[in-house]
Amino acid sequence: MAASPHTVPPCFIHTFSFTISIFCHRKEVSGLKKNKTMIVAFLAPAVIMFAIIFVYPIIRTVAMSFFKIEGVTDAISKWQFSGLANYIKLFNTQLFRISMWNIFRIWFFGGLIVMGLALLFAAILTSGIRFKSAFRAIIYMPNVVSAVALATMWLQYVFSPKFGLFKSIGDMLHWKWLSKFQWLDPDHLFLALLVAYCFGMVGYHMLIFASGIERIGSDYFEAATLDGANRIQQFRYITLPLLKGVTKTNITMWSVSSAGFFLWSQLFSMVVSNTQTITPVVYMYQNIFGAGNSVTERNSGIGAAVGVLLSACVVIIFIVCNKIFKDDDIEF
Amino acid sequence: MAKEKKVREPVNWKKELRLAPGYIILSLWVLFTFVLLGWVIAASFSTSKEIFSGDVFKFASGLHFENYAKAWNTSNVSVFFTNSLIYASISCALLILVCAPAAYVLSRFTFIGNKLIQNGFVASMGVPATMIVLPLFGLVAGWNVLNISLANRAALIFLYVGINVPYTTIFLLTFFGNLSRAFEEAAAIDGCPPMKTFWKIMLPMAQPGIITVTIFNFINVWNEYFMSLIFANSDKVKPVAIGLYGMINSMRYTGDYAGMFASVVIVFLPTFILYIFMSEKIIAGITGGGVKG
Repeated sequence: MAASPHTVPPCFIHTFSFTISIFCHRKEVSGLKKNKTMIVAFLAPAVIMFAIIFVYPIIRTVAMSFFKIEGVTDAISKWQFSGLANYIKLFNTQLFRISMWNIFRIWFFGGLIVMGLALLFAAILTSGIRFKSAFRAIIYMPNVVSAVALATMWLQYVFSPKFGLFKSIGDMLHWKWLSKFQWLDPDHLFLALLVAYCFGMVGYHMLIFASGIERIGSDYFEAATLDGANRIQQFRYITLPLLKGVTKTNITMWSVSSAGFFLWSQLFSMVVSNTQTITPVVYMYQNIFGAGNSVTERNSGIGAAVGVLLSACVVIIFIVCNKIFKDDDIEF
Repeated sequence: MAKEKKVREPVNWKKELRLAPGYIILSLWVLFTFVLLGWVIAASFSTSKEIFSGDVFKFASGLHFENYAKAWNTSNVSVFFTNSLIYASISCALLILVCAPAAYVLSRFTFIGNKLIQNGFVASMGVPATMIVLPLFGLVAGWNVLNISLANRAALIFLYVGINVPYTTIFLLTFFGNLSRAFEEAAAIDGCPPMKTFWKIMLPMAQPGIITVTIFNFINVWNEYFMSLIFANSDKVKPVAIGLYGMINSMRYTGDYAGMFASVVIVFLPTFILYIFMSEKIIAGITGGGVKG
């Protein structure tokens, strides 16, 4: 947490509150009653919002996934119980299987690229270079600008076969394969999507890794230097093992953003339900809200089942992560 | 303190040379980012013809500000931009009003359900939007508000606020936790009721945290896409992210590339400018607390 300028020395607070609790014991009791109304009044708006936006929809979505429902807005009385039929149907739909495969590829390969680059950049940033905060700020920048604008820049400029950045770089270095590479061909569209998406995501995960590295005490490295370990050995044997908790955070956050993967996929599919770029969220969107040339039957239950499956994936990854990185007993 | 020391330190060439690979890697990445942004900005000031011949940096025919005028006036960017500005500012203000009191109470008082609420808020940050969007659509459509533009706007703001309640509350909670209790105790001795103490003393003291979280909320609401796509029912109420998507599609067919890049710049500029001035605060907010898995 950023240090607040208003902190009072802790010893002062302790003596202060101790004196108060001795002299104002009766006041404390009457104060507790007043606090009850205060707790309720202060909590109510946030908790009610939370119940409406998260608790109620989550419960209803789980229920919906076991029913056949014609319209999204249908009342519960019109639902027809169908057990696991929605899930079975989903797994028998080729387009959905493709979308799950795509999101897995994005999560796995994109995850490897992003985590690798993020760790590399974090290691460089914390190695004592100059202009550290400038580098850090510029690399994080893509995370704050509108993803629609960012995706448009990549699609319309970087990947353009006529005036694109990659074509210019290829021309400049006389790399024929690069200047001729058709990024936006149906065959290469997934690669283009992956490259553009990863470019934007590296910054965030880099910040998390860098803050983890900075929290490691410098005495570890000093001791290792005295023992004759070089920088790469120090990284391998001190930094990496101590980054377990931070890695867990990063993988969890990466999985959460992968599960909601929608915008980039929608912008990169020039044709409706392009099999290279479709993801489960896009599949669900097209089924429920879309114009509907890929829709065979109206069933909101299937859309709900997609949501439940994605959430289940996030939960499973979270549990597995906690298992793998469990022995995080090193305190620093 | 360490920072000052570093600035005064003379250039140690041996050390810098050892770090050279690091400098090269980061510089290439940064250079790529600069070329990407610089080209798009340059393209937005040139003509579609110049873009296709690859001479955007020459400005042979001068600066074409009319691209911006055209995008702003004829392709509805002004409407989308104003919408987003209204949604983001009102949502940010409401979020503080809703979350700051809750965060304060959660950080200060022990009561049954405190931990449960906190854990629920943290867990909900990992819930994919697909998990909540169907019932929300049923709910909002059931209120029959999607055909009245003012009600549609209110519904959008309600959703933006709701989605960001857990994050904002948890962020402010850690912040209030770090503030000293001595202030409330002093106020209580002077006979100030706890609620008044919060509004008059504690809330103003949490200002640094409130500013940081508001920047995050502004960026989140400005860039929000999935919910807006589903719930913004007409062109009149669409925020920039959705509006830009529609505009790009139409401009691709008309071949107005300069106009398209001008719209892109208009859309990414507000959060970009905010970032230029606030990057230190934003980065401190990310690495300091807020997000913990």
